[in-house]
Amino acid sequence: MKKATLALACVLMGTAVLSSCASVNTVERETPVGTRHVITDKRVITDETLATKVNIIGVNDATTPGGFLQIQIEVLNESHSLQEFNYRVEWFDMNGMAINTPTSVWIPRQIEGKESLTITAVAPTPTAKDFRVKFMENVRDN
Amino acid sequence: MNRKIKLCLLFLSPLLFFGGCSTHTRYVETSGPRTLNTTEINIQDFSYAAEDMIKSLLASGALDKAPKQPAVLAISRIINNTTQQIDTDMLTKKIRIALNQSGKALTTTTMGIGGIAEDPLAQSMQQEKDFYADKKELQRMPDFSLSGKILEMRDRLDDVRQVAYIFQLSLTNNEGLAVWEEEKQLAKQEKKGVFGW
Repeated sequence: MKKATLALACVLMGTAVLSSCASVNTVERETPVGTRHVITDKRVITDETLATKVNIIGVNDATTPGGFLQIQIEVLNESHSLQEFNYRVEWFDMNGMAINTPTSVWIPRQIEGKESLTITAVAPTPTAKDFRVKFMENVRDN
Repeated sequence: MNRKIKLCLLFLSPLLFFGGCSTHTRYVETSGPRTLNTTEINIQDFSYAAEDMIKSLLASGALDKAPKQPAVLAISRIINNTTQQIDTDMLTKKIRIALNQSGKALTTTTMGIGGIAEDPLAQSMQQEKDFYADKKELQRMPDFSLSGKILEMRDRLDDVRQVAYIFQLSLTNNEGLAVWEEEKQLAKQEKKGVFGW
């Protein structure tokens, strides 16, 4: 009787674990036609857990036809479950001064297990030359 | 001794009771991740929508096609098709500020739907200036107009309620062609509590 209960508990726990782990499969061209201008980045990691869940794969930049700096960050969820995070992009001019913009907000995103996600941002003015992207776990009580 | 403890408890219990009832108010960053989230449309929803719209508009280069830079923009009607009473300036003002800062467009405040100016005093000043200067071409006409709609979709399945907000914007040139269009969708889910919504 005791063994049967234990086995049932194991089966139920296994089901619960597997049902929460829905990860993403992907397919793409083996040799991409477009070439990314990948930039060397500097990372300051204070939340190791978040860095594992939302791992920054790389950052590349380009310039729009209007002369605005455009950046793209590729992140990968290393875990097998859905993760929620926030990000915010800050822009700096040639003198390293922060550019205030009404659209500089913490943006919430969701990423499925093993999913890669591209985050894009466009500088608010053509004078923006540098950027800083911040990542944070979801802190809202849901 | 027993009486002393009883008296002490009698004195402390109201303090504990009323202490727990006090309210705590603090400032939060409106652009931060700690703002309240409900299924109603709120301040951060407008910020997310504006951020996406601006990003798309600046990347498109549509404003660069105006014959004279910076382009002149007129704000047309933004229809609120949600169940809530909202001021659409929550969206358009953010876009206007961002465009102004970008140097790509300036918004006219002397032209509006039905001839009603956003700033009647500025309109009078401009008309007076044009009259005394004896200008043949009175006012620089807008190169573009910005119009849009905010929609709401509600769904419910078992104890989960979903509300989606759709922000739609169009930039039309003075030839009547929509040169840029964008849509941003936001969906929020709420799970039913033990004692109802």
